Amino acid sequence: MLKTRLIPILFLKNGLIVRSETFSDFREIGNPINQLKRLSDWEIDELIYVDITREGGYDLKRSDHKIKGKKEIISILKEIAKSTSMPLTFGGRIKSIEQVDAYMANGADKVIINTGVYDSPELISNVSSKYGSQAIVVGIDIKKEGTLYNMYVKNGQKKVKDDPLNYAKKVESLGAGEIFINSIDRDGTGKGYDINIIKKIISSVNIPVIAAGGAGTFDDFIELAEETCVSAIAAGNIFNFTEHAYPRAKKELKRAGINVR
Amino acid sequence: MIKPPNIEYCKKCVYPAIAATPLTFDKDGVCSGCRASNQKDEINWEDRKEKFLRLVERYRNKDGSNYDCIIPVSGGKDSYFQIHIIKNICGLNPLLVTYHGNNYTPTGMKNLLNMREVFDCDHIFFTPSIEVLKTMNRLGQLMMGDMNWHGHAGIFTYPIRVAVKEKVPLMIWGEHGFMDLGGMHSYNDFVEFTYRYRHEHCLRGYEWYDFVKQAQHFGEKLEKKQLIQWMYPADEEIEEVGVRGIYISNYFKWEANEHGKIMIEKYGFKEAEEPFERTYRRMSNLDDMHENGIHDYMKYIKFGYGRATDHVCKDIRSGKMNRQEGIKIVKKMDNIKPKDLFRWLDYVGWSEKKFDQVADSFRDPRVWIKDSSGKWTKCNIWDK
Repeated sequence: MLKTRLIPILFLKNGLIVRSETFSDFREIGNPINQLKRLSDWEIDELIYVDITREGGYDLKRSDHKIKGKKEIISILKEIAKSTSMPLTFGGRIKSIEQVDAYMANGADKVIINTGVYDSPELISNVSSKYGSQAIVVGIDIKKEGTLYNMYVKNGQKKVKDDPLNYAKKVESLGAGEIFINSIDRDGTGKGYDINIIKKIISSVNIPVIAAGGAGTFDDFIELAEETCVSAIAAGNIFNFTEHAYPRAKKELKRAGINVR
Repeated sequence: MIKPPNIEYCKKCVYPAIAATPLTFDKDGVCSGCRASNQKDEINWEDRKEKFLRLVERYRNKDGSNYDCIIPVSGGKDSYFQIHIIKNICGLNPLLVTYHGNNYTPTGMKNLLNMREVFDCDHIFFTPSIEVLKTMNRLGQLMMGDMNWHGHAGIFTYPIRVAVKEKVPLMIWGEHGFMDLGGMHSYNDFVEFTYRYRHEHCLRGYEWYDFVKQAQHFGEKLEKKQLIQWMYPADEEIEEVGVRGIYISNYFKWEANEHGKIMIEKYGFKEAEEPFERTYRRMSNLDDMHENGIHDYMKYIKFGYGRATDHVCKDIRSGKMNRQEGIKIVKKMDNIKPKDLFRWLDYVGWSEKKFDQVADSFRDPRVWIKDSSGKWTKCNIWDK
């Protein structure tokens, strides 16, 4: 049986790691390099790195720190790829195959695209025919409103009419290798994963599903793994909050009998 | 006319967007520090206290063979409050640990000695070599414009070394500084002490080995063997004991002014006998003579604001002061060059000219510009 992966996500806004809540409240946690070094020390299964910058440039803000200056995303990617063997998924603001080429040439193993493939679905087959379907992860952001699950694009700011389940089937048929779902209403709240919609997405497709959004304690990881056949458990904030969070979470998952590396 | 770069200020408090503390602004121009502070009123603190009691209970030593926890203390009002909660409310047996950077004020030292007596706890009071401290003072100033780096590094390294050595898995910190001031975290995060936070935010990404490396470049002498107590334990050592550091401010509503008053009445804590030059508060940061002095003056040199701004923001958020009153204080105090500078110059053997030259090299170009007469100028909150 395949092992369930545990994947930290770094959300980057204007060059800094942020703590995100409901896709609308962002707090700056620090520069990506230091946290990447920690994640690399812990030999994590995989890393997802998403640039959620909406406007403006990159600025690390502190001129009196050891790590200085501005870093744009490609040079950060190069630096990570150089120093680590963990598989890297890069994404955020990808609109064209040329951007994908640049990421792949500089050390990314996969790309994650959300709005870019919603606007131009042919991007999925362009990436998969060039790099293989395992290289393209399609992101779907979902918000529960009343009893309905609605789909959003553009950093959770634009609601679209598509049904998330049908859309998941559609991107699978276009050649997506994996689906990454995130919950806008649970993001950063620590209320736990939205098991209901995650289950439905998983059963509507045959490709692996990575789920994110809402982890508040390591028990939420265990619940997600026990209740669903999720291929990977992903989380952003929680790995930034406590010491040795990643290895300690793995230990808890193992203790609960979850099949992790 | 040379125009300084524009700086955005929080619409509610007086925090600038370019700051030593990471913070973000919402669409109404309100900073994350104010947002985190508002959250304090929505929290069920009784519930949090229960959570805390359950958590620490798991760490209580059952057979009296070891301490229940470690409390890093300076002897300030927050230290008193931490021990008050741990020893007198929870009935735990803590080991107090102090890093002594050789900068104690007379009042700070009185408070520290009184603290260990009134609370009747075991206390480790560690002092590094004074010559090494002087070198670290100079190098910190040269490398990053902070003569007190040794202090931050000592405070955030020595206690966890003791935790590992004594096999005490729980450390009790007071408030999470960057969360309280800049709103780095939500109260729902239950953020704990991490190497990354210490390394990046408290130590600016530098470690002891950077000092050894840079010493020669700056004509100083420093060896690895002199810096043992600044060495962070290895991940494996920490995991073996399972050390974690929790912040009391996630479990008890943190009201610095209120806590101070209670500590004075109940335990004989003393306010600073002399007023500070760079802040109006007499209860905060009073143990170290340079914390409210040149260490903080360097923040003004770098980012254009200082401790008065920090304290005004906290007091505006807690409703103790309005923004107009706050701006007046900031205008009066943030730019003062404090007199403790002369103790420091004498201590490390520098001239004031050298200090100023080094200091000026750290002015952030996003804040400061030289006007036509060669004077440093910036965009001020009272000009807005």
